[in-house]
Amino acid sequence: MTDVSPAIEVRDLRKVYGDKAAVDGLSLTVPQGCFFGFLGPNGAGKTTTIKMLMGLAPPTSGSIRLLGLPMPEQALQIKQSIGLVPDESLLFDHLTGGEFIEFVGRIYGLDRPTARSRAGELLALFELDAAPKKLISEYSKGMRKRAAMAAALIHRPQLYLMDEPFEGVDAVGARLMKDILLEQVRHGATIFLTSHVLEVVERLCERVAIIHEGRLIREGTMAELRSTAGTLENAFVQALGVEYGAATLDWL
Amino acid sequence: MTHARAILWAQWRTMRNFYPRGGVAVTAVVGLIWYGLWAAASVVAARALADPAAVERLLPALPSGFLLVMLYWQVVPLLMAATGASLDIRKLRAYPIPVHQLFGIEALLRATAGIEMLALLLGATVGVILSPALPAWRALGIVVFAVFNLLLAVGLRDLAARVLAYRRVREILVFVLVLCAGLPQLFLALSRRNGPPEPGPGLRSAVSGAFAAGESWAGWPWTATAGFVAGHHALAQAAILAAWCAGGLAFGWWQFTSSLKFDAEAAGARLEQTSERTSFLDRLYRLPGLLFGDPLAALMEKEIRLLARSPRFRLVFMMGFTFGMVVWLPLAMSRRGLTQEFLGTHYLTAVSVYSLLLLSEVCFWNSFGFDRSAAQFYFLAPIPFSSVLKAKNLSAVCFIALEIGLITAVCAMLGMPLDPAKMSEAYAVAAVMTILLLCAGNLLSVHMARGVNPDSSFRTTAAGRIQAMLFMIYPLAFLPPALAYLARYAFVSQWAFFGVLAFDAAAGLIAYKIALDSAAQAAQRIRESMLEALARGDGPIAG
Repeated sequence: MTDVSPAIEVRDLRKVYGDKAAVDGLSLTVPQGCFFGFLGPNGAGKTTTIKMLMGLAPPTSGSIRLLGLPMPEQALQIKQSIGLVPDESLLFDHLTGGEFIEFVGRIYGLDRPTARSRAGELLALFELDAAPKKLISEYSKGMRKRAAMAAALIHRPQLYLMDEPFEGVDAVGARLMKDILLEQVRHGATIFLTSHVLEVVERLCERVAIIHEGRLIREGTMAELRSTAGTLENAFVQALGVEYGAATLDWL
Repeated sequence: MTHARAILWAQWRTMRNFYPRGGVAVTAVVGLIWYGLWAAASVVAARALADPAAVERLLPALPSGFLLVMLYWQVVPLLMAATGASLDIRKLRAYPIPVHQLFGIEALLRATAGIEMLALLLGATVGVILSPALPAWRALGIVVFAVFNLLLAVGLRDLAARVLAYRRVREILVFVLVLCAGLPQLFLALSRRNGPPEPGPGLRSAVSGAFAAGESWAGWPWTATAGFVAGHHALAQAAILAAWCAGGLAFGWWQFTSSLKFDAEAAGARLEQTSERTSFLDRLYRLPGLLFGDPLAALMEKEIRLLARSPRFRLVFMMGFTFGMVVWLPLAMSRRGLTQEFLGTHYLTAVSVYSLLLLSEVCFWNSFGFDRSAAQFYFLAPIPFSSVLKAKNLSAVCFIALEIGLITAVCAMLGMPLDPAKMSEAYAVAAVMTILLLCAGNLLSVHMARGVNPDSSFRTTAAGRIQAMLFMIYPLAFLPPALAYLARYAFVSQWAFFGVLAFDAAAGLIAYKIALDSAAQAAQRIRESMLEALARGDGPIAG
């Protein structure tokens, strides 16, 4: 893995479900050491894209290179260097938070004492240690996200793929997560995240891409987007070409 | 090996956590008893095969024994996957584990799921090794048989998991499985009816017939294993076993890699495209709007949509007019005994009452369980809670009426004796019981609310306390109709029968009004604990 290669390089990526293209000809480059925000309205194809990057869904066509290596050909080497905050269905509901984090650490090759000790530290850091016997199935949405984030950090990956990492997380937890992620970027890691919370993206991300109906409609640095629209929210709404329908409802 | 150890450790933790909290001692005792019994069986198998005197008698029974081992081994892992006690290996795709290692780990996990059979085969292997009458190398046959089962289990589990990802297929499969459970006794009853009566051994002969068919071909894995152990054409049997093992490996690998590539969302997307009955169903769902005003009609329409779209409800509903009939038909068709005579003449009533009992889990006892996110809305919306209960009850009555109508239609198709008197009797008994079950159901739904996953066709979440209540309620609900039958028997009059039932219905309606008001008031009083109870579990608003 060379440092000059982009962290993520996607060309003409397509994913078709039935006769509907969830992702339609997406091309994207994310440089290493970048905090990258991947935005879009509901159903735009963000989660499908991130699933393809994670190797959870095979693309219908197109190519993916992560950290300079082709996916899925060199999936094992790539996965070894990736930290995942997937959607909730990928957590193991019948494990406790500590057990899950330790398990992920061991899967990434940490020896058992290290995995256990790091799992304990991460549990404490993410304030999940108050109820150590609580199963993940009993966690709130925010706790599940924190557990997933803790597990993603355990092997200190080079690239983080995060699907809505702040969803359901309270303000204190979100602040902690943001600080940790910024620290990781300062140490050279790349972060690719999807989020609906534009304020968070605006504060954290250097580059942003906006996807709509499976297609990339806008990409650039945060400064570029702000220079044309003032705020990320304005840039987002303008890019989607949304017209407010409320004005047409007489009774409203 | 690091991956394997980590995954097996997680599997162990998953299984340990899956059992109820705070009951570690109970779980340990139950586990000790369960695995102790299998360990004892293993020792018995070892001693029996090691004993030269017993082995001669045992050898002919070995094919049946190996067949039973194989059936158990292949069924239990499927049940484990269905109840969540298995690690979902597909979740590991995101992690850096080579596919061949994942396959090996999956095979190891299958071993943990079929550990009872492994213990039994281990005993048999030790027995063969220790036996002075058998060469020790013949134990290899049992080892190969175990490996074959392991590989087959991997393939079957993955195949089942993929097939079950298709919602409708899952329901149909579960339905067929449940139906199959009732079919043997129906076939036996039919054969008894058509042929000369055979006292007693009907079931035994049917089962032994099935086993004889399974033993008649030497090419089966269980007959080949038994043949190898017994030393009949050992070389040929070894070749057959090796071929089965290779086939098992190919099947297991094929299914496993197919599962890794399987895209459940894509499968779901294809399913959605096939739905073209929406407008017709939508008209059906809107029927309550023709009879009632809002908000009752709106609540009923929502309830009917919810139930009709729930796989769990659909399964129970289908079972009512199929499984119920299959269960009761043999008794009704039997020619001997007072009970059978009664069932023969009251078949429609018996099946209708049975279908009520089947539907009670989804229609009466826990009417907020499927609908737990909406339960919060009911407390926020400007509607009396009693209207919500009424709407749920009326929706249940609609489905019960449809169910009993379908039962009548199936009875007519099967040529069962049907006349207006029998039909009136069945409908009247069902109506009275429905009123009484609704009384109890409203109270239980509020006081013992619990979350249920409407997408889960298999699971039952009724707690022990609720089950105990139901054992009391069912006989009580049948008491008023039983009094009507008593009146008819005493006065030899249909008027007496329907008179008592009419009285029961009137008393039931008064009781229903009281129970409804009581449940509505209680719901307001205990709403917090009710919502908390509904939020527990693995449903859409868990946590």
